[in-house]
Amino acid sequence: MEQINEYFKIALRNLRTRSLRSWLTILGIVIGIFLIISLLSLSQGVKEAINQQMEAMGGDMIMVMPGSEENIMGMMVGGEVLEKQDIAAVEKTKGVKDVLIMSYRGIVARYKEEAKMVFLTGLPWDESLELLERYQGWDLFDGEWPVSGKKEVAVGKQWAIDVFGTKVKVGQEITMKGRKFKIAGILNSLGNKSDDSNIYLDIGLYQDLTGEKKGSARVAMVMIEEGLTPDDVAEDIKKSLQKTRKRIAGENTTDFAVITSEKMIGVTNSILGIIQSAIVLFASIAILVGGIGITNTMFTSIRERTREIGTMKAIGAKNSAVLIIFLTEAGIIGLIGGAGGIILGIICAKIVELYTQSNPVFYFSISVSPSLVLFGLVFSVLTGCIAGFFPARKAARLKPVEALRRYE
Amino acid sequence: MITEKIIKLENTWKVYQLGKVELIALKNVNLDVNPGDFVTIMGASGSGKSTLLNIIGCLDSPTKGKVFLKGKDISLLSEDELSQLRGKTIGFVFQEFNLLPNLDALENVMMPMIFQGTPVEQRKKRAHDLLVSVGLGERIYHQPAELSGGERQRIAIARAFANDPELVIADEPTGNLDSTTGKKIMEILTDFHKREGKTIIVVTHDPHIAEYSEKIVDIKDGEITIDHKQEEGILWSK
Repeated sequence: MEQINEYFKIALRNLRTRSLRSWLTILGIVIGIFLIISLLSLSQGVKEAINQQMEAMGGDMIMVMPGSEENIMGMMVGGEVLEKQDIAAVEKTKGVKDVLIMSYRGIVARYKEEAKMVFLTGLPWDESLELLERYQGWDLFDGEWPVSGKKEVAVGKQWAIDVFGTKVKVGQEITMKGRKFKIAGILNSLGNKSDDSNIYLDIGLYQDLTGEKKGSARVAMVMIEEGLTPDDVAEDIKKSLQKTRKRIAGENTTDFAVITSEKMIGVTNSILGIIQSAIVLFASIAILVGGIGITNTMFTSIRERTREIGTMKAIGAKNSAVLIIFLTEAGIIGLIGGAGGIILGIICAKIVELYTQSNPVFYFSISVSPSLVLFGLVFSVLTGCIAGFFPARKAARLKPVEALRRYE
Repeated sequence: MITEKIIKLENTWKVYQLGKVELIALKNVNLDVNPGDFVTIMGASGSGKSTLLNIIGCLDSPTKGKVFLKGKDISLLSEDELSQLRGKTIGFVFQEFNLLPNLDALENVMMPMIFQGTPVEQRKKRAHDLLVSVGLGERIYHQPAELSGGERQRIAIARAFANDPELVIADEPTGNLDSTTGKKIMEILTDFHKREGKTIIVVTHDPHIAEYSEKIVDIKDGEITIDHKQEEGILWSK
């Protein structure tokens, strides 16, 4: 063990004396690990933020949206809406207890001199306030609930913190599309920063402002009767929606996404899972290239140091000693590359995080788990050792007499 | 009294196959080196003296015949066992010094002891003492590149004696040095021989170096031509 410690020191010394080449080789690994860490911590952060938001909506809930279930992104940002009769059909379905409709879109809001892209959410204020208080724990941090008929809005808790450069206070005005709205109240935190940076207003006002059809909604959230299975109710809702559309518009194949919150989490997780696998795959290719760089630099180094290897063997180094010294060198290149990549990756992800938070349409924090860091380190050291194995074995197998004669 | 030979070569041949041509580097060599000997191997370049030295130092194995290191047939040892035995029993001094350029003087001298697993404190003390004894007490933390040729060779000598080997083999130890420095190097080697009774084998083509020796082996075309105790003043006048 003590000997291995010595070999480690020798390996370190060797790396230091060929520092430029060592650094260039290290850079190869840094890039690969940097990609893995930055992209994975970002995507993991997005995943957690989405899950958090889903959980904030409450457990047994069904979301009804127009559009195909297969195309979840299109569903969330697409232009289609639920018509008045669709909403009525949902409300009439057996097992449905309450229905909360809402519409949302991004909009530029001005406050004092500043303009920012924010999310605007329209809700039927009179009917839904009670539901929101009951199911999602809405309450006021400051001010009053907006009164319908007046140009009043409520804003999320984040507005009182840092959505704009100056903190927003109750009673002040914000401008959207040239119209002024009074901030009647500020909500207490809803559990995630995305929701906390929204503007909430009556759906009538929302439709006036955005020009969306009266009586329609982007999404309906369904609370079901107790004791029923969400999946069953979701199936019934879908059937009655299709029946309604067929009766009114004569359409046969209308797509509605009727998704239980559980399924929603599953779908987003599987999408992000695919993205994460792709990230790992591409970053692995980068690391493979870095590994080849290590192999190359090790072979070069062994050629240059053939005499040294011969000398070490002449003065009593076993094959294993030479093997360990060179493997350690390769491993250290991997380790430093990995550590550098992790640090750069976290810094980069943090910058992206800060940048997106300055435009609070979607809030998320990067997630750097210890296991991700450990994975990065182990992966890079392993790459180094594997890449260094053949050169090291070649060095270990050199015959002392031949190694000493070389370059004479 | 029968003393165990440190090195014994028995009908040793070394043949290199160069394409279709066979090159005989050693032709049926028999050689005994007794403990406490100071042997000089002399010969022109191409005479086979480097090959002989490599075989004596167990760095190379013969094509035919046997080599015994302290009575052990080295062809029966594994590569690792041989490395270990060589590291313990034989010290090397090379013409080109062959110090590890990334390590300082002290670390270079400690190297052979690391491979033998000597504890760190003992290792440091021994290396330090050896460097003092070759007159480099002031330079123990210098890298080889910061030292002169003579100083480097002295480090190499200190390194050769690190594991307290019975035999030290020096291949043209003064070949890359001027004559004054070379003389000093030979004095250090002779000193170890006299003081500690170490067996020393020096390979050289320089007759002046052979003056330090008690036994001279001449080699020509792969054959030992003279193997005798040097009678004082007979071969070369001092």
